[in-house]
Amino acid sequence: MASVSFHDIEKNFGTTKVIHGISFDIKDGEFMVLVGPSGCGKSTLLRMLAGLEEISGGTIAIDGKVVNDIESKDRDIAMVFQSYALYPHMTVGDNMAFSLKLRKADAKVTAERVANAAKILNLDPYLARFPRELSGGQRQRVAMGRAIVRDPKVFLFDEPLSNLDAKLRVAMRAEIKALHQRLKTTTVYVTHDQVEAMTMADRIVVMHDGRIEQIGEPLELYDRPDNLFVAQFIGSPAMNIVSGTVRRANGGAWVEAAGGVRWPLGHTAGADGQAVAYGVRPEHLSLGGSSAVPAEIIVVEPTGAETELLVQAGEAQIVLVTHGRPVVNPGDKIGLAVDPAMVHVFDQKTGARIAA
Amino acid sequence: MKLPTLKDVTTEAKLLLIGIPVLLWTLIPVYHLFLFSISPKESAFAGKLWPDHPTLHNFEVVFGQKHYYLSHFWLQLWNSLLIAVTVGLLTLFVATCAAFAISRLKVKGGRTIMNLALFTYFIPAAFLAVPMYKTMGNYGLLNNQWALILAMVTIAAPYSIWVLKQASDKLPYELDEAARMDGATPLQLFRLVYLPLMMPSLVAIGTYALLLAWNEYLYAFLLLSNDRQITLSVALGNFLAADDSPWELLMTVGLIYALPPAAIYYAFKRYMVGGLTAGAVKS
Repeated sequence: MASVSFHDIEKNFGTTKVIHGISFDIKDGEFMVLVGPSGCGKSTLLRMLAGLEEISGGTIAIDGKVVNDIESKDRDIAMVFQSYALYPHMTVGDNMAFSLKLRKADAKVTAERVANAAKILNLDPYLARFPRELSGGQRQRVAMGRAIVRDPKVFLFDEPLSNLDAKLRVAMRAEIKALHQRLKTTTVYVTHDQVEAMTMADRIVVMHDGRIEQIGEPLELYDRPDNLFVAQFIGSPAMNIVSGTVRRANGGAWVEAAGGVRWPLGHTAGADGQAVAYGVRPEHLSLGGSSAVPAEIIVVEPTGAETELLVQAGEAQIVLVTHGRPVVNPGDKIGLAVDPAMVHVFDQKTGARIAA
Repeated sequence: MKLPTLKDVTTEAKLLLIGIPVLLWTLIPVYHLFLFSISPKESAFAGKLWPDHPTLHNFEVVFGQKHYYLSHFWLQLWNSLLIAVTVGLLTLFVATCAAFAISRLKVKGGRTIMNLALFTYFIPAAFLAVPMYKTMGNYGLLNNQWALILAMVTIAAPYSIWVLKQASDKLPYELDEAARMDGATPLQLFRLVYLPLMMPSLVAIGTYALLLAWNEYLYAFLLLSNDRQITLSVALGNFLAADDSPWELLMTVGLIYALPPAAIYYAFKRYMVGGLTAGAVKS
């Protein structure tokens, strides 16, 4: 168990700078997820923490101790790789015991720890098998078992679920979360999948182009995204964004988009005439209402529990999600009711949130 | 079961049309060799498909060293074996260390070494025979079996490094990273992870170097001259020094000489097939 802190971390590959001075802290026992599109530098950051990549600038500290010049084997961290990286010539048991054997741990202690980890992960029946004889999910669990037996200060996960099929991914997601709740080991988890980030994290670091866009608890990011990037990255289906201009008149406020569509503005954000990006999540839109925005239905996608509608409002295509099963058909003219309190407004130029 | 289509049949027929002549081309000389070795001296050149009086007398002469040319048969066979095995092991050692350093530890200048290794193949081994003879003379190694061993390792190493480097590159690099994080030093990584996974390639390269040395004639002939030092291949060549060479004995020794490589190949056949790395990473 340990805290981790990144201070002003930079990374260059040759002359290309891929990480631009990142600083944040991970608390003891926290499940921190680094999320972002591919190439954002999240894996590089994790590999620098692991000691597999040189740190070009800044410091990384584990438990207050700077580890920049400490070899990865002496950092007391364990990593689960995307490709599992199991030793193919060793049995499951030997794979898990390998790190302890290298540390010349007592054979009895080793056997005990391996048995314990196998029990936690339901791998008991497979200890004598070779990795090639296991399914993808089982291999993933062996990779986790290899990390568990070491009882490290920090667990690192590098996109551990992206090689699994959709159903197994959901199951393993829950398994990793349950494991963290049980072991309470500080965990850094890298993924490009925002659903994984939302469901597993205590806190999320959203990264983009080697910079941090926002750090916060999952629902905090969802409810109050700091900028346009986070707003569009977090949430599925993604937030609807409409470009427009703030208009204030007669005590009312709205954002006027192309085609003269008026989107209601519930708060005092933005000055009259300011160019903004107007954001509203699909579930904060509903059908009907007197102050509704006129729109036309393009596609209806029922999923059982909810119905997703793609509509055309002015020049913008808008997605809305309803819990009911509205009786509508493509081509129907409808009105879009917006909950003005749930609207996000971002500066068109900088993308920064305009506070209410 | 599905009936073969016309296309399948024609493909098969074409393959057989090539395969059968090639098989005969390979097997007829071997059969000829065998025929000589079981024929009495008088009828060795009778030109029959099977001798009238097949005999094992030739083997008795060879194994009993009962001929002038065969007075050191067992010693020379042992020389061949010793030199071939030493060359195999030394080449493996040199090439494995080089491949590991270049491919896994990514030492600086690795690319240059690979290019140099490839470059040596522009020069035929025969061109180097005289310089090699001179060099060994300078070191006072002439007529010493180490001269032949070192020369053969020199010839076998570049190709071996090249092949092993290619094979190493195919091992997933995450395995090294996982082992490093598990606490392995480079030597432990080499011994506990790299060597076991490279085993099929190592056996293949070891066999290659061993057989190269076993079959070598030119360098063995140049560098060794004493009857007690030479390999069996040189001894075989010496048979032809006389006007009436004992062909049936020459062929018998030849047949015996051809057996160990065949046995080695058969024994290590299963290693030559890959598949050990299955299950390491998701591909």
